[in-house]
Amino acid sequence: MADKNYYTIDPEGKLTCLKCRCKLQKDKAKFLYLDNGFPVELPVCPQCGFVYVPEELALGKVLAVEKALEDK
Amino acid sequence: MIEERVSTHIYRQKQMLTKEELEARESLCVHEQPPYCNAACPLKLDVKAMTAAIAAGDFDRALGLYEKITPFPHLLAAACEAPCEAECKLCGLGEGVSVRALESAAVTWGTKAKGRSLLRKKPTKIGIFGADLMTVFLAGELAKKRYTVSLFCAQSGPEDLMARCIPDQAEAVRQAAARTLAAMDLELCWNTDPAEEYRQRGEEFRIRAAAFSVARTLYPQIAPDPAVMVSRDHGLITGPAQGVLDAAFAAKKAALSADRMAQNLDPANTRGQEGSLETRLYTSLEGVAPSRRIPITDQESAIAEARRCIQCHCDECVKGCAYLQHYQKFPRILTREIYNNVSIIMGDHMMNKPINACALCGQCKVLCPNGYDMGEICRIARENMVFTGKMPLAPHEFALMDMLFSNEEAFLARPQPGFDRCQYVFFPGCQATAVAPATVRAAYRDLCARLPGGTALMLGCCGAISHWAGRYELTDQTRSFLREALARLGDPVIIAGCPTCKQELEFTGLEVRGVWEILERIGLPETAVAKPRPVALHDACGARGDPDTQASIRRIASALGCQVADTPYSGDRAPCCGYGGLTQYTNREVAKKMTDQCLQRSDLPYLSYCMACRDRFAREGRESMHLLELVYGTAADHCPDISAKRCNRLGLKQQLEKEIWNLEVTEMDLGFTIEYTPEAEALMDDRMILKSDVAAVFQNLRRTGEAILDSETGLSVTRSRQGNVTFWVKYRETETGYRVFSAYSHRMKVVARK
Repeated sequence: MADKNYYTIDPEGKLTCLKCRCKLQKDKAKFLYLDNGFPVELPVCPQCGFVYVPEELALGKVLAVEKALEDK
Repeated sequence: MIEERVSTHIYRQKQMLTKEELEARESLCVHEQPPYCNAACPLKLDVKAMTAAIAAGDFDRALGLYEKITPFPHLLAAACEAPCEAECKLCGLGEGVSVRALESAAVTWGTKAKGRSLLRKKPTKIGIFGADLMTVFLAGELAKKRYTVSLFCAQSGPEDLMARCIPDQAEAVRQAAARTLAAMDLELCWNTDPAEEYRQRGEEFRIRAAAFSVARTLYPQIAPDPAVMVSRDHGLITGPAQGVLDAAFAAKKAALSADRMAQNLDPANTRGQEGSLETRLYTSLEGVAPSRRIPITDQESAIAEARRCIQCHCDECVKGCAYLQHYQKFPRILTREIYNNVSIIMGDHMMNKPINACALCGQCKVLCPNGYDMGEICRIARENMVFTGKMPLAPHEFALMDMLFSNEEAFLARPQPGFDRCQYVFFPGCQATAVAPATVRAAYRDLCARLPGGTALMLGCCGAISHWAGRYELTDQTRSFLREALARLGDPVIIAGCPTCKQELEFTGLEVRGVWEILERIGLPETAVAKPRPVALHDACGARGDPDTQASIRRIASALGCQVADTPYSGDRAPCCGYGGLTQYTNREVAKKMTDQCLQRSDLPYLSYCMACRDRFAREGRESMHLLELVYGTAADHCPDISAKRCNRLGLKQQLEKEIWNLEVTEMDLGFTIEYTPEAEALMDDRMILKSDVAAVFQNLRRTGEAILDSETGLSVTRSRQGNVTFWVKYRETETGYRVFSAYSHRMKVVARK
């Protein structure tokens, strides 16, 4: 099954890792909560692996999934 | 840090209440009890619904409801003795609703619904021998049930029969009843000798019924059981009846017996509740004006008379409680749904939100005529879910962390200088120190100066937060911790600044007094200046059932010049401000409705004696003051945000340690500065992100260098995981540190996958 993609880096290359001085790229990441895992694609630093969770994603889909899982 | 629940795949279970306990609690709620009129009707007419239909001008629906209970609506409406009218609640005020006149109105102006019965004709043959009121009604009942019925009468036709059965009724009523009988799906055998027909043809019928006079001709000693209208010895349905209603009711009983006999069942068993009922309904007449009956001459007057009906129901708890209003459920239903929610092992727990939204304030217990305590149900459910590992931490975590902050970093327990053991300890409570540190400081200094035997100070949380959250282990730990600290101070008399603390601290076994009681005893300080001011006094839920506290507060308020306006929801009936039960944290929408409900009572400035109430009222823009502010002439902070509240607690502790105990206080220096845009501060307060959380994120940044730059916005973004939450901060560097533009958080962990 294809990984869910909830964020597109637009324009491409606008996100830079300040530690590694390189551009973040769309890559594989995973959300983990209450013993559940969700594979996703997010901006990731190719060198240090910093995964960026944008504000709108955190307050939108991530929050909704958290709430759904909390009531399981 | 408080441990998050381990997994959604937990199958631990514990019964919240036994079935008997659940039923005992549910039975207290009388909302679904029948109204007085319905209960009085042996035929089970839904008087309330019929009246409501007429009040809405829907005579067709009213007739439909009426026809459900009788095959002869014209006759019953004209001649029913109407026991419902005597039970009408309005009789206690003036005149009750004239139900029989409304029944006649339904019969007169309602149109009978078209369409045929969906029931198939039953082949069971029933013979009815002889016509009296009971057997005529019975024939109608059995025809409605679609039996194959033959009625043998001595009379020559329907009009003749009705003239015999209801000679006192008006010609029009008799004719209408005759028409109804003639239109029924019955075999009508006129000009017969019913007794003779019974002897000769009785065996043709599976079930036999007879007019009581005919039965006595056949069997002079016959003594049918009036409960089922059957003479078992003779296998005959029969019995005497007095009057129209009695005959109609006897026919209903007889028809049910026929049903059971048709199935070869004992007519006496499994009959359900028959006849009029006892109802436990409670209906308040508060606000209902006495009125007189309106003579019904046309549809308009019928509608006007029906509108006098107050549609008896009990919603005493709902009227006062924003929580119950929000969920639009009555305690019995809500309890059952919560019970089921707690019992399910897998799947969605749809009632978690309602369980966590109740203020646990106990108002419903006072308002309910039977003392239904919805808060106790919710609290038991919370504890149960914590025990089984099903309670999410997210709704309560901020409040619980706040409690830990109060009892760790901001905790203080010191005897008055010069005393090893103190006679008293002042316990102002976590909300007073957060909202009004200057008032707490003034109160403590006053108590130290004027009370003998030394007054210690204890700044911390009483444990109400974990108690409300259902975290019983944390509550036990908190209580042990507080108990030990109190022992070190010499087991003093506790002077609680907050009514909830006063209630919670009873566990200590020590004497617990409200600061108001002490102030009454030693007199108000010089700072207490009497100034005439009208106020609406809001009673705290912590003082529910504590008339001494409520009276003491009123006396002090009066001494301060306050002209206290009480409302129907003062004293024990007071609603919660929205802080209790942690509603403020778990469901802001409900909490706001609770606050609004409190503030609807009056336009005056609000005086309270719980700092949480004081703060919530001020946040809604109302002039709001705490009693101690008036006593000490010190104003509370104006709506401090979540970070300012923590800062106030810590700042007060440090200030008092320095001033009173001469301790050196070392200020925490981060080594860099953090500025916030006003938008960021507002966002953080809304998203429950503390400035200390943001500071920890920057400390992590300085350790790891992990951040990204968004060239589109020009803002850098960094993050760190603290406890169960990942905090993100959008910032720009400044010469001395950072300027914050936004902050957000999530509870999920995120990792890169290779």
